[in-house]
Order: sequence, then C-alpha cells, then structure tokens
Amino acid sequence: MLLSLIVLIPLIFAVLTLLTKTREQARAVALVATVTVLLLTVYTYFNFDSTTAETQFEELYSWVPSLGISYHLGIDGISLPLILLNAIVMPLLILFTWNDDRKAPNRFYSLILITQGAVLGVFCALDFFLFYVFWELTLIPLFFMVSIWGGPKKHYASIKFFIYTHVASLVMLLGIFGLYFAAWDMTGTPSLDIPYLLSQYQFIGSGIAKDLIFVALLFGFIVKLPVFPFHSWLPDAYTEAPTAGSVLFVLLKIGGYGIFKIMLPMLPFTASPNLMITILGVLGAVSILYGAFLALAQKDLKRMVAYSSLSHMGYVTLGAAGLVSLSVSGAMFQQFSHGLIMSIMFMSCGVINKATGTRIINELGGLAQRMPKLAVIMVLAFMASLGLPGLTGFIAEFSVLAGSFVNLQGYVVIALTAIVITAAYHLWALQRAMFGVYKEKLGNVVDINGYQTLAMGVIAILILYFGLNPSPVLDMMLTNSEHIIGLMAGMGV
Amino acid sequence: MDIMLFAPELTMVATGLAVLLIGLFLPVNSKKVLGYLASLGILAALYLTVTSLGTNSLAFYDTVSVDALSQFFKIVFLVVALLFSIAAIKYTEGSAHVEEFYVLAIFATIGMMFVASANDLMVLFVAFELASLSTYALAGFEKKNPQSLEAAMKYFLIGSLSGALMLFGITFLYGVTGTTSIPGIAAGGAALAASPIGLFAVVLLIAGMGFKIALVPFHMWAPDTYQGAPSIVSSLLAAGSKKMGIVAAFKVFIVALIALKVEWQIAFAVLAVVTMTLGNVAALSQTSVKRMLAYSSLAQAGYITMAFVVLTPMALGGGILYALSHGFMKAGAFIATAAVVYMVLSENKDTQNPDHIDNFKGLGQRMPVTALSMTIFVFALAGIPLTAGYMSKFVLFSSTIQAGFAWLAVIAIINSAISLFYYAKIVKYMYFLPGEGSKISEPLPYTIALAVAVIGVLAIGFWPEPFIYWAMEAGKVLLAGGI
Repeated sequence: MLLSLIVLIPLIFAVLTLLTKTREQARAVALVATVTVLLLTVYTYFNFDSTTAETQFEELYSWVPSLGISYHLGIDGISLPLILLNAIVMPLLILFTWNDDRKAPNRFYSLILITQGAVLGVFCALDFFLFYVFWELTLIPLFFMVSIWGGPKKHYASIKFFIYTHVASLVMLLGIFGLYFAAWDMTGTPSLDIPYLLSQYQFIGSGIAKDLIFVALLFGFIVKLPVFPFHSWLPDAYTEAPTAGSVLFVLLKIGGYGIFKIMLPMLPFTASPNLMITILGVLGAVSILYGAFLALAQKDLKRMVAYSSLSHMGYVTLGAAGLVSLSVSGAMFQQFSHGLIMSIMFMSCGVINKATGTRIINELGGLAQRMPKLAVIMVLAFMASLGLPGLTGFIAEFSVLAGSFVNLQGYVVIALTAIVITAAYHLWALQRAMFGVYKEKLGNVVDINGYQTLAMGVIAILILYFGLNPSPVLDMMLTNSEHIIGLMAGMGV
Repeated sequence: MDIMLFAPELTMVATGLAVLLIGLFLPVNSKKVLGYLASLGILAALYLTVTSLGTNSLAFYDTVSVDALSQFFKIVFLVVALLFSIAAIKYTEGSAHVEEFYVLAIFATIGMMFVASANDLMVLFVAFELASLSTYALAGFEKKNPQSLEAAMKYFLIGSLSGALMLFGITFLYGVTGTTSIPGIAAGGAALAASPIGLFAVVLLIAGMGFKIALVPFHMWAPDTYQGAPSIVSSLLAAGSKKMGIVAAFKVFIVALIALKVEWQIAFAVLAVVTMTLGNVAALSQTSVKRMLAYSSLAQAGYITMAFVVLTPMALGGGILYALSHGFMKAGAFIATAAVVYMVLSENKDTQNPDHIDNFKGLGQRMPVTALSMTIFVFALAGIPLTAGYMSKFVLFSSTIQAGFAWLAVIAIINSAISLFYYAKIVKYMYFLPGEGSKISEPLPYTIALAVAVIGVLAIGFWPEPFIYWAMEAGKVLLAGGI
C-alpha cells in the first residue's frame, strides 16, 4: 500500500493541479503532493532493512492473468536511494520555482508531478508491463516541458529527445517481448514478472537469443542514461529545457537503474559475458573522457553542465562493468550523488540566465560580488562535481575507479586522464563566470531569493552530509552489489 | 432451430421498422424521439448479444452460425451503431429525414451482423451488400452538399465494383468445389489447391474485400469518402463497415481457403506492411482532421491484417480485440470531430473545410470535454499504455514476435512510433495553440457518445482480461474451423 501511495499521490495530485486556476493554488497543491511523497518515503526508509538484498514492501495483485500481467511493486537497495533522491529534490524544486512567473502554471506543475509519479513508478515496478508503462509515461511530460517552456530551439530539442528515446524504448520493448516469449515457451505459462523472468533468463537455450535480448534491453537503458555514442539528444534537451525541466532530466535516473536492476543480474548468463563487459567498459570510459573534452569546449554554461553530466554518466556504466561490489555500489552512489549535484548546477544556470540575460561564460564575470549566496552554493556544487574529497562526487568516482581497476585497468587509465580535464573545465568556468572583475554591462544583478536559497542550500548541505557520511544510502547499495556479484561467482566472469 | 438465437438481429429489425413507421406520423420538431428509440433498440440488441456470448449453434440449414466469433463482432458493430445513433440525435436535429437516416444505419448494422454470422458465402454476400447499399445512401445524406455527394458517388462506384469482384471470386469457388458453404469449401480445399482457378479466386476475393477494408492499393476511395461524408457517417464507415470487411475476410480466407494459406499469407504480409506504412506516412501531412483519421484508419487496418499473416490463436485474438478497440477509438474520434464541425458551422454556416486542423486550436479551453475525449482517442490510436489501443497492440505485436515474424513486428512498431507524431499534432493544436472565440456549451448527445466511447477505451485499457478472453475464444473458432 505504501509504495502504491508513493507512486499514485503525484499522479492524482497532477490532475488536481491541472484544475487549479492561479499560480498560487497550483504551486501549493504541487508542494503538498511532493511533501507528502517525501514523508512517506522517509517513513519507508526508516522501516527498510538495509542488510538484505531481498525485495521489501512488496505488493502483488493479479491484473491480466491470461497474459501474465500483474500489479507487482517492491523496492530493494537499488531503488530506494533513487526514490529518496527524487522525493527529496522534488519539493525543493517546487520551492525553487515558487516565485517564477510563467504561462500556464497549472500545467507546468502538473507535468512536474506526472514526471515524478512516472519515475517513482519505474523504480517500484516489478512487472515488465507496469515498468514499461511508467517508462513511457516519463517521456510525455518531459516532451511537453521542453516544447512549451523551453529555450529558443525548444521544438528541435523536444522532438529529438522524443524520437531518440522513444525508438530506444521500442527496442527495449522488443527485448522484453523476447524474454517474455522465451520464458513462456519454456514453462508454458505467460508471465511478465521481472524477478521471475530474470531467474528464467539463464535457461534460455539459444545463445543468440540470449545476446539479442540482452543487447535490446541494454540499448533502451543506455540511450536513456545516456552514454556515448547515443548522447546527442542530451545537450539539446538539457540545455533547451526550462530550469525545472533540466532538473527533472537529472532526476530521471531510470536508465542507470535499469542497468543495475535488470542488466547486471542477466550479465553472467549471456552467451558472451566478456563481450558485454567490454561494451559497457568502453562506452563508460569513452563517455567519461569525451564528455569532459566536450564540456571543456563549451561557451554556454548550461551546455557545459549538460556535457559534464554525460561525463558523469560514464562512471555509472564503467562501475557497472567493473563487476566488483566496490565499483558497482560506487556507480549506484554516483547516480544518487549526480542527482544532487546536477540539480544545483542546473538551478545555478537558470538563476544566472535570469539575472543577467546570458549564459555565455565569457560574457559573465565577477558575479560572486553581486550574488554571494549563489556563489557559495555554486562553488560547493562545482567542487563536488569535480570530485573534491569530502563531498559526494568523490566517494562515487573514487569507488568506481578503484573498484574497476581490479578487472578493467585499461579503461580506468583512460578515465583517470579525464579527471584532469574535469577539474580544468569546472575551475575555468567558475573563474571566468563568478570571479574576477564584475562586468558592468550585465546591469544591476540581484542575488537569489529566499526560496531559491532554501532549495539550493538544502541540497548543498545534503551533498556535504552524504559526502562525509555516505553510509545511510551506501550501505544498502553495498548489500545489493554484493548480492549481484554473488550471482556471478563461479560463472567464470 | 431456436429462433431466439437471433434475438439481437430481430430486435434490430423491429427497431428499424418501428423508427420508420413512427417517423411517418411525427412532426419534424419532435423527431428527436426516433433517436432515443433507435438508441434504446440498439442497446437492447447489444445486451442480448453480450448475454449470448458462449452459445454455439448453427441455424437455417447450416448457413448461419452463432459462435464466439460472430457474437464478438456483433458487439463491435452494435457498439459502433450505438455511438453513432446517440451522436446522430444532435446531427439530425431539425432534419425532415431523421427516420431514413436511422433506418439506413440500423439496416447497415443488421447487414454487418449477418456477415459476422454467415456460414455460407451466399449469406455473406447478401448481408455484405445490405450493409454496403445502406451506407452508400448514408454517405450522401447531405443532399445539398457537393462534397458529401461526391463522397457517396465514389464510394458507390468503387463499392459496387468490389462487390462484383467478390461475387466473381465466389462463383469460381463454387465452380471448383460445388458448394457455397464455408466449411464445404474448406473440405474441398485439395481441389482448389490443385487448380489454378483457386489462386485466381484468391486474387479476386482479396481485391473485393481489400476495397472494403481499404487495404493499399484498394484504398483510394477511403480518404475522399471519409472526408466528404458527414463525420458521424464516417464513424460508421471507418469503425463499423471496415470491420465487416475484416470479419468477412477472416471467414473466407482463414476458414474456407485455408488450403491456399501459403498463397494468401504472402499477399497479406505485403498488404499489411504497405498499408500501415502508407497510411501513417500519408497521415503526417494532412490538414483535414477527417482525412488524417481516414489515413490513420488505413494504418490500423494494416495492423489488424497482420493477424492473417501470423495465424496463431493469440494473433487472431489480438486482431479481433483490435477490431473492438478500433471501433471505440475511431468512432469516438470521428464523433469528436463531428462535434467540432457542428461548433464551427453553428458559428458560421459558410465555413469551408470545417474539419481543418486550425479549427482545433484552443479546443482545450473552448470545448473541454470534447478535447479531453479526443486526446484519449488519439493517444489510444497511437498505442499509449493503459488504453485499448495499447492493449490490442500489445497482444497483436507480441504474438507476431512469438510466432517468429519479428521483422513484421519491428515494422509495425516503427509505424506505431511514426503515428504518434500526427496524433500528438492534434493534441498540440487543442491544448497548446491559442484559439479564437469563447467557451461553447457542448451538445449533450455528442458528450454522451464521447463518454461511452471513452469508457470503452479505458475499460479495455485497464481491465482487459474479459475482452482478451472472448477475443481469443473468437480466434479459436476460426482456427478450429480451418485446421
């Protein structure tokens, strides 16, 4: 019941929000919904047993028995931290946009809530049908978010995002069908239950079928993540989206979630596990390096942040491919940490753009003098993003690199070179935009308002807190990583 | 023989005759009653059909059968007829020809119902023609509107040609096997397969039924007719009459001509791919919503045709479920368009192209119920989860993969992705582009018809179990007869 509430409350409130008439009502309803979800999630968190990799808070009802579809929800240590991340940032996002003036606020907040419900639904679903329904549902609100409130190239960006990830979802659907029918043929009963199908995967006779299913599912996940070479929708969509939309994209951790939840348990049983590991490792390492170089070359601050996101997502795939519990849990933690850090980074870009009218780094300068509160928070986020010890980014990236070194030395060396570049583009951008002499032509710039300070400040404190004491979320990630690695023991991987 | 097997048909005949007779004595301004009467009659027939699910029987010297297949398709036709007749209460308001309009629609439905029940090609043909003749007249119902007349004329000419081709094909089958009974022809399959005439008959029958289903390249009439005919008549054509072609093709090919399976399977594979692709691509650039829906219904017919290629119980069940879902979605979409056309014409009588997509701008504010229903219908047509369209596609496409036709499923899925663009375009016009003019009170009959269709679309989407069960049962009837 608890998980159903967490998933359904945002969706129900989305409808209520749509019915409101004014901005004040819309934002209030949205805040009530997100805070309720946060409270329920916190309650779930404190009743969650992080010492076991078993599914908890399970709900199972038969839905369409003739096709083997059921309403099956449940969470484990892979999904709970991501649910927590989403539940924490969402109310803060509503606060962040509290005083914004924009057209059709009721639709705006309604779309935010639909996205939240859909993303939480993906994290909770244990039935492929339900999983796919929620997976596709994330697409529609984000598409409208970009195409209505986006920047100058919003139509191009939204359509590109839509086609790219929709096609990837359809490929993933083919993979789901493949798994579904392979299991159906073997056992004679249809079922779309995720844990059941994952356990049946190893018994599929044909090696080609196994690999095709694996690759089709993987394609759906890595496009959503995204990693090189399927990333080209990312800079456009992230940059053209309104600030709240960019944050929603950042919280859309479903691609990485799919890799940990579905791909890794299947990996040892594919016909060619070493090939799959190589694919993941190469894509991860290249994304880290390539994303960093692209970020270095950007003139637009928001575009730079978008590319740095690509670079960070490379750690998720690299860590998954590392296949030791340190690297896998590090990659999971990277998703959590990235969500927090990037939320602040995109909020900062939005605030700067609004205050100065530009995001071109060279046109900015000395903003710290006029926007001291922003500067403090932003510096902290940038430091976390480049991996300063004591902040969340360091823990994630260090674990990934150290863990992956066991099996994937070559890739780690590539990724290590990227660290220098990562530090360079972060510091260089910060120095040009925030410090130095204030450029008078920017006009009379005012600092972030109270709501924005509160929203960004809370996230900044969390980055510091989890950087110093990651165990509240890292423990359960470790438990699950060890469980996954345990599956591989004796498989010769 | 139990005459009560045909209680739904008899109810329909009685309703039709009653409407015709009472209409004679009513003044124009109280002819609204006829609409209520017709809707009640159809509702009663629908009830009788639903309760008769599960009966298996033959009647009239084995020329007519009552089984899961026939009853399921009768439900499809009656549902469409019901939506049509509720919406028509508003459309026919003030017309002097209300009774003719309803009687034609009711008789067309009776024709469709007998096609679904036919166990003999003669019955099938006569019933087919009954439905066709009635709809020719309906398409030209707006006697003073040249577009409507052109639509009717085109439909009539091509329809008669296709009827003739079909009859020609039937005569060849009779010539080789010596019978017009569908199981009889199936029994004589060996003779058909041995003779070149069998193949010739297949070609003629595919052409004849292809016209009705509007498969490419026999589709030319469909966009013109759907666009020109009154919107609610288009709903009957696209959602009802097209399904009659499909059920007829199911019976003729899968049951009677199963011996020639290899030949027609390839033909249907090509037709399915070409039809869905051309339908979706052509729909992308349309500015007339009715024309767009016409092309979209080509595409949908292309998906259903996949069932002929795959031929497993699940695929046939999927195709049959799709037929029902399409009935709700497409009839609903045309009725929503009818409501918009009504609104546009009531504001300015001389508007050209009242179904132009520009007239949908700002509909979300101006006609909230219509806009919301239309959104649900087009999303369902596109196959967005938790709608009837998604469920049907799920069953149909997944069965295609199961049977090893992955390439066909991939083409269908890509097509489905393309289709989302023009469907989303309608939604964009309704909700995201500002419209001119103020809020309008939406006519109640249209609203009720839309609500019924929305309930149908969502019921199949959320609780598909009984629908899938009966669709599968209907599919089993086909395969049990043939193999």
